[in-house]
Amino acid sequence: MTIIIDAYCTPGTERETQLSPRQLLRMMDDAGIDRAVIAPQDREIAVCNIDGNQRILEMAEQFGERFIPACSVNPWLGREGNDIFSAAIEAGAKLLVLAPALQGFNLGDELTDELLALAGELSVPVYIHTGPHSSSAPSQLLLVAERHLSTHFILGHCGSSDYSHDMPAVFSVAPKNVWFEISLVRPWAMASYKEMADPSRFIFGSYAPRNDPRLELQYLNREMPRERYPQVYGDNLLGLFQGAKK
Amino acid sequence: MIIDCHTHWSMDQWPQNKPDPETWWDVPGRHGIDHAIVLPLAALTDDTKLQLENDRIHQVCRESNGRMIPFCSVKPSQGDPAVAELQRCTGKFHTRGIKIHPWLQGTCVNTSHMDRICEVAGDSGIPLLFHDGTPCVSLPSQIGLLARRHPKTTMILGHLGLMEHWREAISVMRKESNIWGCLCGPHVAAIKEILQRCDRSRLLWGSDYGFGNVDPIDYRLDLLKIQNLKHGDMEKILDHNPKRLLSL
Repeated sequence: MTIIIDAYCTPGTERETQLSPRQLLRMMDDAGIDRAVIAPQDREIAVCNIDGNQRILEMAEQFGERFIPACSVNPWLGREGNDIFSAAIEAGAKLLVLAPALQGFNLGDELTDELLALAGELSVPVYIHTGPHSSSAPSQLLLVAERHLSTHFILGHCGSSDYSHDMPAVFSVAPKNVWFEISLVRPWAMASYKEMADPSRFIFGSYAPRNDPRLELQYLNREMPRERYPQVYGDNLLGLFQGAKK
Repeated sequence: MIIDCHTHWSMDQWPQNKPDPETWWDVPGRHGIDHAIVLPLAALTDDTKLQLENDRIHQVCRESNGRMIPFCSVKPSQGDPAVAELQRCTGKFHTRGIKIHPWLQGTCVNTSHMDRICEVAGDSGIPLLFHDGTPCVSLPSQIGLLARRHPKTTMILGHLGLMEHWREAISVMRKESNIWGCLCGPHVAAIKEILQRCDRSRLLWGSDYGFGNVDPIDYRLDLLKIQNLKHGDMEKILDHNPKRLLSL
């Protein structure tokens, strides 16, 4: 039986991410999702990194194996940020989340270099939100991925929606340390994406509660049936976590 | 009744000299769509096709027994030729609206060229439907500024800010009463908040069917259905509002 892991959920208390852990568990049960990565909410990603990391780690501890905790740190914090990141990993976080549009930096520049190198040293995969803004385009993610070949990157949302035009070019040259998370990728776009990259590179994520996990899985299953592409639903992500040192 | 307010018909995809509405309609018909606003596509990236695609769209819509509702497009930065093409479409075809895709067409929204198009649209009583949600020429707030300069012209945010600018789209809709919004792009949580905070009498629904060789209609309808709206609100968005917008 294929394990289903949702690569990105935000159980939060604010704005469009108001979702209690129990509500998330109900959503997961309803959709048949075994485990989910849980990430800090927007304010915690932008400015309250320590509080957010702590909240997520406590939630993961409380609910055991169902939740996989992610952490975040704003690269503008520099060395202090590296310490916050290391502490979160020490405490059990499995994934580093960066959101350039929220955190106020341009992905293509050198600001993140120390943090990304540290993530590589700790074998912690880095999830980076990409989207239609100019601070986090898929092409910019390639720039940093090519500079940090020993760090594993997850290209969140595949640039949905308007950078979808870049994705064929991105798929064709992406280095081996880049995986593609597909929340916000619409089902019809996935129909063509699956022809452009190996299934071993795709990772299912719902982006709950912004999206409905059951609905997303239902439509993904039409384009990439679970029986035929089991790795997309969990194994690819699990492989990244198993490479982590902690 | 379901009126899909955001679909495309491309002369590249349907190149016959005598366009056939039946083949195109196969997908909307299967999903129970009753009418569709049909926007150009090929001409948005190649303005040498503008006149011909406008001609073909109006022809195919005319042969659709009223199911397909034609919008034309012009390239505002062309200046006089753009105004002339719009006047040709309003005069010859009684076009029902105008599609502008600022980033595909390489057109800034807040220019004197766009002002002229808005004036003609306002005088003709037809709406402009914009692609929106994409920097640096298609932000909802940029279209909001245009709407403020042209209060008698109706403008539609064709994607209500897409995935990241939907909060901005909400602000614009709340500020400018001549802005309408088409639920075609934002995610589930964004749609929920748009429904809570925007004037529901100015909300439309669209699928973007025809943009590529895919069928997005059931997914886009499901995004709306899982909001568990009251029947009256669903009727407003899918039926009453578009009828009021287009005087159907």
